[in-house]
Amino acid sequence: MNRINKKLQENKKLLSIYFTAGYPNLTDTVSIIEDLEKNGVDMIEIGLPFSDPLADGPTIQASSTQALKNGMTTEVLFDQLKDIRKTVSIPLIIMGYFNPMLQYGVEAFCKKCQEIGIDGLIIPDLPVDVYNDEYKATFEKYGLINVFLITPQTSVERINFIDSISNGFIYMVSSASVTGSSSGFGDEQMSYFERIAKMELKNPQVIGFGISDNETFTQATEHAKGAIIGSAFIKHITENGVNKTEVFVKSILG
Amino acid sequence: MKLKICGMKYQENMTEVAALQPDYLGFIFYDKSSRNFDTSIPEISNSIKKTGVFVNEDLEVVIEKIKTFNLQAVQLHGEESPEYCNDLKNRQAELVSASLEIIKVFSIKNEFNFEVLKPYEAVCDYFLFDTKGKHPGGNGYTFDWNVLNNYSSTKPFFLSGGIGFDEIEAVKKFQQSMASKYCYALDVNSKFEIEPGLKNIELLKDFKTNLFFHANHGTDSNLNKHMENYNVNEKGYYGEFGGAFIPEMLYPNVEELRQNYLKVMAEPDFKKEFDQLLKDYVGRPSPLYFAKRLSEKYNTKIYLKREDLNHTGAHKINNTIGQILMAKRLGKTRIIAETGAGQHGVATATVCALMGLECIVYMGEIDIARQAPNVARMKMLGATVVPALSGSRTLKDATNEAIRDWINNPVNTHYIIGSAIGPHPYPDMVTRFQSVISEEIKWQLKEQIGRENPDYVVACIGGGSNAAGTYYHYLHEPDVKIIAVEAAGLGVDSGESAATSVLGHEGVIHGCKTLLMQTKDGQITEPYSISAGLDYPGVGPMHANLCKTGRAEFMSITDDQAMTAGLDLCKLEGIIPAIESSHALAIFEEKTFKPDDVVVVSLSGRGDKDLQNYIEYFKI
Ligand SMILES: Cc1ncc(COP(=O)(O)O)c(C=O)c1O
Repeated sequence: MNRINKKLQENKKLLSIYFTAGYPNLTDTVSIIEDLEKNGVDMIEIGLPFSDPLADGPTIQASSTQALKNGMTTEVLFDQLKDIRKTVSIPLIIMGYFNPMLQYGVEAFCKKCQEIGIDGLIIPDLPVDVYNDEYKATFEKYGLINVFLITPQTSVERINFIDSISNGFIYMVSSASVTGSSSGFGDEQMSYFERIAKMELKNPQVIGFGISDNETFTQATEHAKGAIIGSAFIKHITENGVNKTEVFVKSILG
Repeated sequence: MKLKICGMKYQENMTEVAALQPDYLGFIFYDKSSRNFDTSIPEISNSIKKTGVFVNEDLEVVIEKIKTFNLQAVQLHGEESPEYCNDLKNRQAELVSASLEIIKVFSIKNEFNFEVLKPYEAVCDYFLFDTKGKHPGGNGYTFDWNVLNNYSSTKPFFLSGGIGFDEIEAVKKFQQSMASKYCYALDVNSKFEIEPGLKNIELLKDFKTNLFFHANHGTDSNLNKHMENYNVNEKGYYGEFGGAFIPEMLYPNVEELRQNYLKVMAEPDFKKEFDQLLKDYVGRPSPLYFAKRLSEKYNTKIYLKREDLNHTGAHKINNTIGQILMAKRLGKTRIIAETGAGQHGVATATVCALMGLECIVYMGEIDIARQAPNVARMKMLGATVVPALSGSRTLKDATNEAIRDWINNPVNTHYIIGSAIGPHPYPDMVTRFQSVISEEIKWQLKEQIGRENPDYVVACIGGGSNAAGTYYHYLHEPDVKIIAVEAAGLGVDSGESAATSVLGHEGVIHGCKTLLMQTKDGQITEPYSISAGLDYPGVGPMHANLCKTGRAEFMSITDDQAMTAGLDLCKLEGIIPAIESSHALAIFEEKTFKPDDVVVVSLSGRGDKDLQNYIEYFKI
């Protein structure tokens, strides 16, 4: 069974952390992953940096620009991760934009992911229908789970369609926004979380965007299986360096 | 072969369809159909046979409709018996038109027993074969035409069922096969619709020119080459380019637009308002000017399409007028846009002032510094100019910021993209708004030289909006050659260039798959051109397809060549062109045309905005 599915079966709320590979320094990637696992994080999204990250706010953008300046590329990332399964056992997901993947070759990319032990992918600008028509078979061939996003504006029919072609979890974007924008969840978001929970989808939901502390983590996981933190973690390592992961994780889990 | 267009519903649309001169127009009298006809038929040419389509209808009702609407043909779509057909035939005497044509329909799946036709031979004029499906007709897909190899009758028939633009090649193949021996006409309907009953005129026009014009004029291989569809297809692609590669957060906005844009554009009051504003506010039609001295210099016939004379000084306003009207129809109250040099920003700020809507323009921090006059213009027009501080702080980053704004404001905001780029339906929508350029060129040339088609149309390409508008009505005219001019910057191999067709590879930028300048690793690279409007790392997907298929010839022009050509136009014709447009003018130094060639060049904008550049470059 895929590590993601196994993890989703555990009887706990999951904390997933996103970070940009190659930031703050090119070679920080592996130690950040190892540190996060050691400190009790359940799942990791490794951000493959892109020059034009449309769905991201200033924090992740800036980290991506820096990572690219540091020399991060798809090749380099795969090379850094080649022995990652010797030390890390939690689910690993690569999150990146479609163009770098397209240039690497979608099939070659997927194959490499399988070799390394990557469990899934999140590609925000690969539309559901294109995935379904052109790439689903390839992802499945290499045992990769593709994770789709939904937002408060996504229609019920579309949510059901996304649920039907997903086989891991659904990434619930907390509000209409790019990453790193909001602070705290209001009634509107809480009722959206509740509305989705009531749909009783086949895939569990994990909430992301705008989760930055224990309060928002608790709010998000009231109805959902887990939550993803990105910008807040990047801010943390920008300000405190890469060795203080423990403090960060503790502050989230309370 | 004849053409029947079926399922007419709307008055104005009917008139437009009739103008395409099909041989039959079909009106469906069946209240279970979404195309049920319930209005009146406008005045249309007598050479077009008005055909009533019925499903197991009472004979008296059929007779009454024939009389009321003066129908010349009846198409029977149900289980009408041979006796029923015979009765109808016998009633002809009492009808105004004594030569009523009776067309009996049979639906085919994968096989068909042609024996069932026998009893109908004597009582019908034509058979019509369509696809067996859920509904009586209109199922939207084709049946296996090979079944017709066994056609045992000699009665001429109509071929129907799911025929669309994408079936052109299949139809041509069919025409060459034995199975088509008695094929009398093609019947089209749902594949040419914006919504049930509302026909897509441009698509029909292209279909007709492709299939019927050429079929009647022999099959020169050169003609065949240009028979592909260069317009967007149903899925939002131009060949392999286009699509909508957008994050889910944008899906509702883009989908809302996709579902509505053609419908809104086809509304009579939308068209009226658009045309009126283009005329009274923009100053259209823009002149088509025969540049005599320039023509003498290059010993050919050069016509300039004067988009520089539009209000705000470039073609950009055609698109912003269209999109602001669209935004209003969609109930949007807040407008965002990206801009490089500020031309599109000014055109957007202008229409927002005109309509009293809030306007936010994203502009790279570096561009804000180099384009101060346009920044001031936008502010005077009431817009807020927001600097894009990320990435390289130029046009591509301004576009990213505008898209992020749209993600953050999904309900009340419309994003006016400034070129024929972005996710579907943007490239097509912008192209349609700009297509007024070639629409005018056609009648202007006809007036001036007696023919609509030039030998060449030429335009510069940044994202490709002035080019798309200049080419649009010529895309499927094989005798018109298309030239696309890109900015080579300091030279294609200099590392400082924007010649996407040479330096780009297939990739995804700003929501569409197209040709794109990027690193081997798929990171988008910074282009360079002296002209801010051509300084974009991609091209619109339509142009990527024109390049790939060879329909357009792509040329690259350096900064130096463009500046020289620009100054040349000043001296020879008394026109100071935008540096973007100067790129298109520079091709005459590169390529020799015949003395008789008629070459239409899009003079996309005027040079006021570029004065500082000209001053510095020529040390004036
Ligand atoms: C005068 C002029 N021509 C051409 C362009 C290039 O844009 P497009 O390729 O969309 O026509 C611009 C863009 O700013 C412009 O201002």
